[in-house]
Formats: sequence, structure tokens, C-alpha cells
Amino acid sequence: MKRLRQYFDKLVSRRRPLEQVDAEALRLDFRARYHAFKLLLAANNKSLEVMADIERVLEGSYPFGMTFVRACSTALSVNVFNMIKYLDQLSHGKYKDLYARFDHIQARIETGLAHRRSVSHQDLVVPFETVNKEMVDLVGNKMANLGEVKNRLGIQTPEGFIVTVAAYEAFLNANDLQTEIDTHFQAADTTGISNLYALSSDVQQLILKAEVPAALENAIRRAMASLKPKKNGRLSLALRSSALGEDAPNTSFAGQYRSILNVGADSVLEAYKEVVASKYAIQAILYRLNRGFRDEDIAMCVGCMEMVDAHAGGVMYSCNPVDQRDDAIFINAAWGLPKTVVDGSDACDLFVVSRKPLMQIRHSEISVKRRKFDCFPEEGVCRMELTGDLRKKPALTEAQAIELATIAVRIEAHYTVPQDIEWAISHDGALYILQCRPLQQLKAAASSGSIATVPEENPVLIQGQGITASPGTAFGKVFPVQKSMDILSFPEGAVLVARQALPVWASLLSRAAAVVTEAGGFAGHLANVAREFGVPAIFSVPRALDILKAGDVITVDADNVSIFKGKIDAILGKAPVRGNLMSGSPVFTTLKEISRWMIPLYLLDPNSADFQPRNCKTLHDITRFAHEKSVSEMFNFGKTHDFSERSGKQLYRHVPMQWWILNLDDGFKHAVKGKYVKLEDIASIPMLAFWKGYAAVAWEGPPPIDGKGLLSVMFGSTMNPALASGVRSRFADRNYFMISKNYCSLNSRLGYHFSTMEALVSDRVSENYVSFQFKGGAADDSRRIQRVYFIRDILFEYGFRVDVREDNLMARVEGGNAAFMTDRLKILGYLSLHTRQLDMIMANPALVRHYRSKITTDIDQVIMSDA
Amino acid sequence: MLAREVTVDRFTVLFVDDETDFVESLIKRMERRNIKAYGVHSGEEALDLLAAAEIPVDVVVLDVRMQGMNGIETLKTLKKRHPLIEVVMLSGHANLAVAKEGMEMGAFDYLMKPVDLDELLYKLEDAFQKKTLNQARTKNP
Repeated sequence: MKRLRQYFDKLVSRRRPLEQVDAEALRLDFRARYHAFKLLLAANNKSLEVMADIERVLEGSYPFGMTFVRACSTALSVNVFNMIKYLDQLSHGKYKDLYARFDHIQARIETGLAHRRSVSHQDLVVPFETVNKEMVDLVGNKMANLGEVKNRLGIQTPEGFIVTVAAYEAFLNANDLQTEIDTHFQAADTTGISNLYALSSDVQQLILKAEVPAALENAIRRAMASLKPKKNGRLSLALRSSALGEDAPNTSFAGQYRSILNVGADSVLEAYKEVVASKYAIQAILYRLNRGFRDEDIAMCVGCMEMVDAHAGGVMYSCNPVDQRDDAIFINAAWGLPKTVVDGSDACDLFVVSRKPLMQIRHSEISVKRRKFDCFPEEGVCRMELTGDLRKKPALTEAQAIELATIAVRIEAHYTVPQDIEWAISHDGALYILQCRPLQQLKAAASSGSIATVPEENPVLIQGQGITASPGTAFGKVFPVQKSMDILSFPEGAVLVARQALPVWASLLSRAAAVVTEAGGFAGHLANVAREFGVPAIFSVPRALDILKAGDVITVDADNVSIFKGKIDAILGKAPVRGNLMSGSPVFTTLKEISRWMIPLYLLDPNSADFQPRNCKTLHDITRFAHEKSVSEMFNFGKTHDFSERSGKQLYRHVPMQWWILNLDDGFKHAVKGKYVKLEDIASIPMLAFWKGYAAVAWEGPPPIDGKGLLSVMFGSTMNPALASGVRSRFADRNYFMISKNYCSLNSRLGYHFSTMEALVSDRVSENYVSFQFKGGAADDSRRIQRVYFIRDILFEYGFRVDVREDNLMARVEGGNAAFMTDRLKILGYLSLHTRQLDMIMANPALVRHYRSKITTDIDQVIMSDA
Repeated sequence: MLAREVTVDRFTVLFVDDETDFVESLIKRMERRNIKAYGVHSGEEALDLLAAAEIPVDVVVLDVRMQGMNGIETLKTLKKRHPLIEVVMLSGHANLAVAKEGMEMGAFDYLMKPVDLDELLYKLEDAFQKKTLNQARTKNP
């Protein structure tokens, strides 16, 4: 500020006429500098926008992926680099140290972004009999777990081999697929689900069209040759996804990826690509996005196992998934392949087996099973309608249920945590484990069994029919989904009602309030994901699609298996708040880590000796430094060149306070000669708006000061020499505007405080902004800070984003049209005059209320209404 | 509606991108705004076209990943041969190191796909203004 004042003083005293040629060269030079200055401001604006985006997502309420993280960090770096470049141009290389600081910071950001997976194994394929849980980094979680069960526990699983993570990397590298995939993700507009559909389809097509490298093809063929063919002489395999990164703590990845059943030898390579491509199925993309998984961290290994042509199959849990206190084994069973249970596509039997004192069936529910899946003799599976007695017959004998429960307990004991296990029984009665993974168990709902009093106007629609697939309560409008295209129109906060609990509906769980299905058990994939996302779900509700009408508002009480018409607050009152699924996830952690080098602002005080390039610790510090110095450099032009056309002029006005104006380009309506400029000569839209607000309501003078307030002011002035000049000449301070037609910056010392306002208002709406920074006051810290909060609340009310650190207030609003932005400037003009010295009354609540009310009335009735 | 801060004379832009459809759609959208736009599909083609000097190109919009010469290689040669032409990199792949390399080689800016058309247009106008100022200063040092 002192330097600015010296510069202006010099400008006034040292003018001499310039030669015409000199003047033309200076005009050109000034235009180039002003252009660089504008570009620096645009880069600053963009940087602050990106930082605000990062801060917003780090609050944890929005899902975001690595594409967002990479795009933000690149955009921020590019814009900060541009700021350094333009400051370099304005200052003729005075701040070259900034480049070194930038390199240092960027290197740390790049380290944080680096993809950490390194493939140390070379084996493209490994036989199943060599696999155990220590090999998770080579074969993925699912196959490592299954290998452990087979090779360490000696429990029967199908024979087979695993196409490893090294093979996945080889497949990607041979086709440069990861870069292609990243490019598709970046270029896609992922805001709407229909765009995500297109993205999912494009990326899957890329993978399906890619060539399997010859080395991998040979390895797979050799591994197949070692397997036993079926009785008909053909080889039949089940290809199951085994992604690296699946089954991480508290995540299920349930059913996100494909398993392809009954695949012949000739189709294995195509089926391999299909399983790899399923990494980009719509539900998998959305799951990773909502849970914060890095795309590049998920490598797809594929288990190729001999197909078990099952007589019966299903899923069992070694404990109750919705009640931690219950250690009974829950078995869901269906005729044929376990697919019916996993897909939730039909009703299935439930056997609950208690472990103590003797293992015995505690409870069973035998459903009417309408269909089953069987293997075709050649390839593929088919759905068969069941007829006759088989529909009502239990899919397991009591002995088989006990045998399964015994295995579940063994696997649980080995892993020491409850397990989710898929199993099959062949036509010759042999029992196979097909996969196992940790089970996520929920606490029992505290209110289970107790139904709140329901008003008469809210009739019961469904009660006691169905099962709790995921606990909790919610309300919303009924939205039936029957075909996959219904996903595109599913509204936020609706209750998903479907015939079957299909895994494909999982892509809607981040938007659904609750789920109700006519078929499906709590062991299916959809139930798993619903529990993980905290979405209440009731499955196996007969005629749900007939009873629940599209568009009706209903309340779903999954704890008590009840559904009511309307919204019932008494029931909803107990609904737990959904957790933040992003927090702690790999994507969230990556952004949090690198944001340490981007977001914090350490350089707060431009008058401090520490305000130096070497002290820039973050990209934000660099923007702060570059912005501050660019303003000084623009003022310094006149000082260096003694050029009156680009010198400050005093605003001609009959007030003691001095306003100085530097015209950067087209800020005056016409050429203005001499030392003074009149308000009617000004063309700057933002300056005129600010001025309109400043002059709209006459200032009543200082607020009535009580003894305590006055003492506080005097004490502050004594202790802080920077404020002493303010005490002596509080209306004689100079305020400096830099203006063009669409731009304005103001450095001022109004009353006791120092403030900076900057605005761009043009027809480039997306580039418009108004920013306001304000620091200090003469009262003690507490009153000073109270005034900062007083102003913060007012600005927030009128749409500013406001950040307060110590006694610094930083407010910003951007992207509004001209009318909106000029209104904000008028508010700032008004506040600059009317909040001066209000720190002195901050200890008096009645006066605070009076001024708050007066300010709001003035703004609403005078400032905003004149438009 | 406010007047544009600086009225920019119309200028000529060359799009260099191996995605044919993307280039064609950008050219059409530029032409609708009275901006002369041309497109080529490789770095080599771009350098040949500039060497022929038949079209007075002001700003080049350059993709980064292309068959043959990539965007960075093209930028390097282009800035060496035509220092006054401004280059805006437009990449489908956010990459910190590549962005920095491009900026250090004198790219005017580095944008990422998908790009908002208005944002691209503002950037092109700014780049053209810079070129005009540099040209004037070269003539009147």
C-alpha cells in the first residue's frame, strides 16, 4: 500500500512531455502488459474455481473418480503455471524463483497421483491347485480365497486355472487400452446416467474388439489342455471375475462383474474378454464412483473353473447378515445352478441352522420355486420353468443343509470372520464351494419389532410379507423398474419397485430411497449392495408391483417388513443418516493427499517480510503471491515509464476521502486530461456498480460507542502502529481503483480496515466474478472477529462463498450474469461504507441486531430494488 | 447485454486432431460464429499446411495423442518455425507432466476434452489478441 502511494505521488510530481514515438511504444507496451494482466486474472479465477471444486468434493457428499482428480490437478497446475508466466512478463523476470517452487510442488502432486500397482509376477496363468490367500496380488481376492479353501482346508472346489493380473496387464499393454479407456472417461460427460450408459458401452466395445496377445492365448490353451473333458468329450468351464481390490474391508463389489457359465474351449478367449469388459458395466462404473475406487487399482483376474452342472445351488452366510448377535448359518437354496439365488431372480428356500448346542435346523422356509437355471449340453445356460411337485419341494435335504453349515463354520473359523459362500451340489451329490468372501454384518435395528404409531390417514399397504434384505426406513415416490432402460428415467429419491432383485438395479442404489421386490433373497447381490449403501430393502413381497402404484408416496419400514401409504415422520424419525461412502476410499485419500499441496493458504499478509516466492508452500500460495504482485506491477508501469496517460487520476469529488483511479484500457468514456477525473467520465461497469452501492444510502456516522468499545479502539490503535495513521486521518485515506470497461480492482482503507475488491463483469458470463478480501479492525481480537462473522453472514445470504481465517475474510461469487454481478458489487459498495467501525458495537447484542436489520432492509429495499 | 471487453477481429484457426468427426464438428461450430476454421488430422499435415503459407493461420488447436508426430513434437517444431502463431493444446488425457512440457514449450494454454465451446472460443480470442500484440511489438520494437 505504501509503495502504491509513493508511486502515485511520483506520478503526480514527475510528469514530462513524451515524444510521439515514445508515447506510441509505451501505449503498445502498456496494452501488452494489460493483456498479460488480464490473462493472469483469468488464470487466477480458474485456479480458484478448481480449488473450490476440490474443497467441495472433499466435504464427502459427492462421488468422484480419478478422472476428476487428474483433470482438476492438471487444470490447476496449468493455470498456476500461466500465472507465473504472466507475472514473469509483467515484472521482467523479478520472481523467477516461483518456477522452482512450482516444480517442487508439482513433483509432490505427481507422486501422489502415481499409480502404485507394480506387477512383480510374470505368470500369465496359474493352476488352481497352487493358489492360496497369499497370492491375492496375482490372482485377485475371490480366487485367492477359493484357492485357500481348496488347498489349505481341503474343501472340494472345481478344478481349473486362473488368468492372472500379469495377463491383464499384458492384455491392456498390447492394445494400449488403459490410455484409451482414460481418454474415453475424460471426454465423457458423466453427469447423466444416459451418458454413463454410452461410456460403459463404448469402453466395453474397446475391450471386446482388442486382441488377446499370442503369449496369453498360448498360456490359456496349455492350461485348458491339462483339464478333464466332460463325459461328452467337451471341456466346459465357468469363467468368474476375480478383481484385485474386490472385497476390500467394508466393500462388497457384489455382482458388479460378470461370471460366464458353461463356456466351451473355443469360446474361452472371447469369454475372457467379456469378463474383463464387465469391469466397465454400468453398475460397476457407478459402484466404483460412489465408493471412491480408482479405476486403475482394479485389475481383472479371471478364474477358469470346470463347470459344475448343479442339481441344486445357492448362497450361505455363516452368520445373520442383518443381526450381529445371531450366529446361526443362513442358507438360501434353489434348484439347478446357484444363479437363481445370486441374481435374485426367483424365490428360494431358506434354511437357518443353529450351531449350538448341536448343529440343527432352527427354521426353514420352503418357497414355491418357479424356475431354475441348467447347463445346455453344448454351451451356455438356460432358464427352465419348473412344474409339478418339484416347485414346492425343498432344494436341500436336512443332511445337506447341515453339511453345508458345517463347511461354512469351518471356513469362518479359518478366516476368523463371517463368510458369504456360494455353493453347488452336482447331480451325483458332490458338494462344491464356488466362491467365498467376508460377509458384511450389520447391527440389528434397535427398533426391530416395535412399530411406531401410524396415523389413520396412512393405511398399511404391506405388512409381514417379505424379508428384510437391508434394514432401515425411508420414504419416496414409487417408481417401478421392469426393463434396463427404466434406469435412465429413475428419479432421485424414489422407491425402486421391481419384480426381481436383479444385480443390474444396483446401479440405482445411490439414487434410490428404498427397494421393494417381489422375488429375491437377502443373499443376492442386490441385497449385499443395498446393505452396503444403507438403502432399506424388502424382498420377496408378493404382488408388490400391483399393490404399490407408480407415483404414490410410501414409507418403507424394512426393519418391520411394513410399507405404508404417505410419509410417516414417526417411522422415519428413527432412520439412520447414510454414511459418507467416499471418505477413506482410495480416490478420496489420493485427492486429500495431493490437496495438501494445492489448497491451504499460508501467505496471508502481503505486508509481511515472509511474503516471498520461497515461502510458497502450495499452489494456492503461488496464486496469492502472483496476484498480489501483478497488481503492484501494473501500478509500477507509470513509475518506471513516467507516462501520464497511464497514470492515476484523482476522482473529483467534494469529500475528504481520496479516490485514485488508474485506467488500464477503456475505463474512461473518452480521453481525460489533467489530474482529475469526474464520475461521469467513468465507463467501468463494475466500478460504477460499486460506487452506486457506496453512495446509495447516506452514512449515519460512527455508531454510538460505549466506554468499553472506545477503550478497545484506543488500545488497538496504541498496540498496532499500522492503525495509527487511520486514527489520525481516518477520512483522508487514499483508495485506489484500477479499471477497464469490464474490470475493476479496488485497494482501500475504509475506516479502520484494509480491503481489496476485484471484479470482472462482461458478456463472458462464465468468466465473471466478484471477489472481496478484508482484514483487520481497531477493536480487540474478539470484536474484530465478530465483525468479520457479521459481514460473512450478510455476504453468505446474498450468494457469496465466504471463507474466514483468523481476522481475514475472503468472499467470492462467480459465473453470474451482468445484472447479478452488478447487484453483488452494489452490496459490497454499501457494506464498505456502512460496516466501518461496527466492530465497536459487537459486544452489544441489541445494537448488533439493530444494525443487522438496518443493513438487510437497506440492501433489499434500496440497493437491490433499484434494478 | 454488455459489450465485449475488447472487440476481437475475426481470426483463423487450425484444428489438428486425428478424430475426424471431432474436427469437423468444431469447424462447423466455429463457422457458425464467423470464425474461419480449418482442420487436419496429423502433426505432419499441420506443419506442411503452415509451411505452404496459403492460409494465414492465427491460432492452432493441437491434440496431444496422435498417430505419427504427437502434439508435443508438433508443438516444438511449430513454435520453432512460426513463433508468432499461438497454440492451444486440447488433450483427451489429463496428464500433469505432458501439460507442463507443453506450457514450457510455449503453448498458450492447455485445455482438456470435453471442452465447453464458449470457453474454447474465449481462449482462442485471447490467444489471437496475444498474437496481434506480439506482432505489433515485433514491428515496433
